[in-house]
Amino acid sequence: MIEDLFFIEKHAYRQSPVHRLDARVKIVAAFTAIIAIVVVPYSPVVYQAGVVLLLFFAVLWGLSGLSPRIYVHRMALILPLWGTIILFQIFLKNPYSPEFHPVFTVLPGIYIYAESVGFALILLTKFVVSVSFILLLSSTTRMQDLLEGASRMGLPPEFSLMLGMMVRYLFVFGYMFRKIQHSLATRCFDPFDHRLPYRYRLREIGYTIGTFFVRSYEQGERTYTAMLCRGYGRHSHVFVAEKPLARRDWAFLAVGLAIPIAAAAVFSLPR
Amino acid sequence: MHIPDAFMPIPQGIFYWVVALVFISLSLRWVRQEMDETKVPLVAVLAAGIFAIQAFNLPVTMGTSGHLVGGALAAIVLGSPYAAVFILSLVLIVQGVIFGDGGITTMGANILNMGVIGGFVGFYSYKGLMAATRNLNLSAFAAAWFACLVPALVTAVEMWIAGTFPLDLGLAGMGLYHAAIGVIEGGITVVALHLIASVRPDIVNVTKGVTV
Repeated sequence: MIEDLFFIEKHAYRQSPVHRLDARVKIVAAFTAIIAIVVVPYSPVVYQAGVVLLLFFAVLWGLSGLSPRIYVHRMALILPLWGTIILFQIFLKNPYSPEFHPVFTVLPGIYIYAESVGFALILLTKFVVSVSFILLLSSTTRMQDLLEGASRMGLPPEFSLMLGMMVRYLFVFGYMFRKIQHSLATRCFDPFDHRLPYRYRLREIGYTIGTFFVRSYEQGERTYTAMLCRGYGRHSHVFVAEKPLARRDWAFLAVGLAIPIAAAAVFSLPR
Repeated sequence: MHIPDAFMPIPQGIFYWVVALVFISLSLRWVRQEMDETKVPLVAVLAAGIFAIQAFNLPVTMGTSGHLVGGALAAIVLGSPYAAVFILSLVLIVQGVIFGDGGITTMGANILNMGVIGGFVGFYSYKGLMAATRNLNLSAFAAAWFACLVPALVTAVEMWIAGTFPLDLGLAGMGLYHAAIGVIEGGITVVALHLIASVRPDIVNVTKGVTV
């Protein structure tokens, strides 16, 4: 996952109307959209709510100037595992339907149910919508801006400090990870090479990880000492200056709240 | 093991968030009291390291691969289950918000499973086995294995409660898969512990915790 860090951040540094929006309004809009699709009950109305939210997402992604290939690439990293579990649903009964009608017999005793296919599609819709808005948020907002935005929204200062340091050092360790990967490759070591004894591969990876742990810890010690030299103490906090929202941020916030809330309300309230 | 947003109704997500927040606040208190508040940066940087460590993969079986979660390792080296809660909370927040791995409404459940249950199971099974056997390899291996398996089983139960996966298949599937992956977790934890203890014996205190 850490290999994708640089890829994600590179796109977050681009310029577009969506990239220029304040991080706070993007966080609120993305989380509202996710909550909206989760709130909609497991029923076919999810499709309608999902279409509305995905159209909203598509407009924003288009405005961001990011290629659809970036979206497909990032989605492809997440989808396989949970996509398999979603696909598996077509063979299973679930508590969201009173009865199940087999439409295809795979093997004796294993059926594909019409209602289960519908449930799998409902799960897939919810999954795609919720992940899409996270991809939009992280592809159009720099990590530091996300953190500052969260701080301005009331994230406790201790957490801001810790997450800020973690995010900063993710890149350091990302480079370190790359270097270690290159070193292992230079020595022709491949953990997936079946010609090597398994115990040997386990020990090599174990030592690599142990070294990584010690290097992380020692980096933490050096960082702490460096921070002490710069006046860090018990009552130090990250200072984040106040920043009023611009008119375009307010406008986006209004739309970003209205569409998901309306979609959730219209499609999930009993009629 | 990262439950995405689609797989859990919102009331259950809120419930797990509340429980997770209790443990996150307790872990913050542990950091302030046990590690000295000013040394928080050290653990934050270590969390970034654990995040990177999770990228090292090893094959398990039948084309599957596994990696270290790191909760048991962090809890054993730092001498407290709250170390795992604290570090894995940071890791899961970054994974959920930046990478889309896990969800926002389900993040509480994920922190509860991997951070809280994984950390507590890993730490206390290690302590219990060490007291009973005095065998570091066995204790660390079993602790890391349990810390991988038990959260997976709890995840299966949570998804059954959510109505998105049957209990029997979930327990069997998640149980078998993570029992296999747990071997990787256990093996790597033992090797890494030996290396850390030989290179930096001052930071590993298997009975009292870290001496920073």
